[in-house]
Amino acid sequence: MEKELKMPKLSPKSDDYFFGSWEKQVGDEVKKGDILFEVESEKVISEVPSDYNGVLKEQRVEEGNPISAGDVVAVLEVSDS
Amino acid sequence: MDADYKNKPAWLKVRYDEEKVDHVSDLLSKMNLNTVCSEANCPNIGECFGTGTAAFMILGPNCTRNCHFCDVPHKRPAPVDLTEPLRVAQAIKQLGLKHVCVTSTDRDDLPDLGSDQFVRVIKAIRELSPHTTIEVLTPDFQGKTALVQRVLDAKPDVFNHNMETVRRITPLVRDRRATYDHSLKVLHYAHEHALEGTYVKTGIMLGLGETDEEVYQTMDDLIEAGVDFLSIGQYVQPSPKHYQLREWVPMERFQTYYNQAMAKGFKFVASSPLVRSSYKASAELAAVGVKR
Repeated sequence: MEKELKMPKLSPKSDDYFFGSWEKQVGDEVKKGDILFEVESEKVISEVPSDYNGVLKEQRVEEGNPISAGDVVAVLEVSDS
Repeated sequence: MDADYKNKPAWLKVRYDEEKVDHVSDLLSKMNLNTVCSEANCPNIGECFGTGTAAFMILGPNCTRNCHFCDVPHKRPAPVDLTEPLRVAQAIKQLGLKHVCVTSTDRDDLPDLGSDQFVRVIKAIRELSPHTTIEVLTPDFQGKTALVQRVLDAKPDVFNHNMETVRRITPLVRDRRATYDHSLKVLHYAHEHALEGTYVKTGIMLGLGETDEEVYQTMDDLIEAGVDFLSIGQYVQPSPKHYQLREWVPMERFQTYYNQAMAKGFKFVASSPLVRSSYKASAELAAVGVKR
């Protein structure tokens, strides 16, 4: 099953961040808890882990671009396990 | 020697843990409480909320002062909420906090400048959680010692008031009403008049353009004022509109300052980039053997 992964709300005060870098590439196997990408908010760099097991199908954001909480970041082919 | 505030060093990398942060955030928003963790967008929020630690910001969320380093909104504040002390105390009890930091916005609009709300909050926490140690991080109360005394009489375990920076840089980063001498006076008064069992604490930020000599002079001023605990952390510029970051201070210098501060006679020093006033603050009381 394909699942759209959305940008979590990282800061209680702000919904607008900068996308940092991808830690997984299209085709990579992803396990729950693996770091998927890094995002910069005003004060920190947050490492965002995956909530699912699966394979990364699409990256919808480029490194360095602005991004808001709720935006679709990636598409994951989620496996059952 | 301006530094690029967007070019963050590796130690500013944090792991996002939605579940843990949400647990504390939900409870606090349900009880309509503010934390300085959220309002100042603190980098340690994941770790602290994850371990059930929070620094409550009473009398907020809007501040009457406009310090150029700070991310707390400078807007017209709301009237004092007399139900707030009980709600803070209930949240602390529900979270089972062993040590709590209570701070506030500046309230130059109030006749008591907010001091009485600190007293009410301390009393409410003592009633519901007698074994929780309490640290208050107060405004300068415009240097009015009678107001400082009211807070001291409520017997917090730690009376904290932040110097923020060295003398020369104070007028550049703090609101014009917040002076270096006011803050020193508050700390000195607290040392002289605190009841037995209350320790006096302060904190400074690095990376604002201060020199070693200026930092050491500030340490000397603080020792002379009778300050027990000192926290030293890295300034992180909240946005392009805020005071320009001058330097990401290397770890070695934090270590050097730690050694110098301990040699000068502070009872406890926390010196590291991510140190904030309330970050792991219970360690200082453990260091001097205080337990409730």
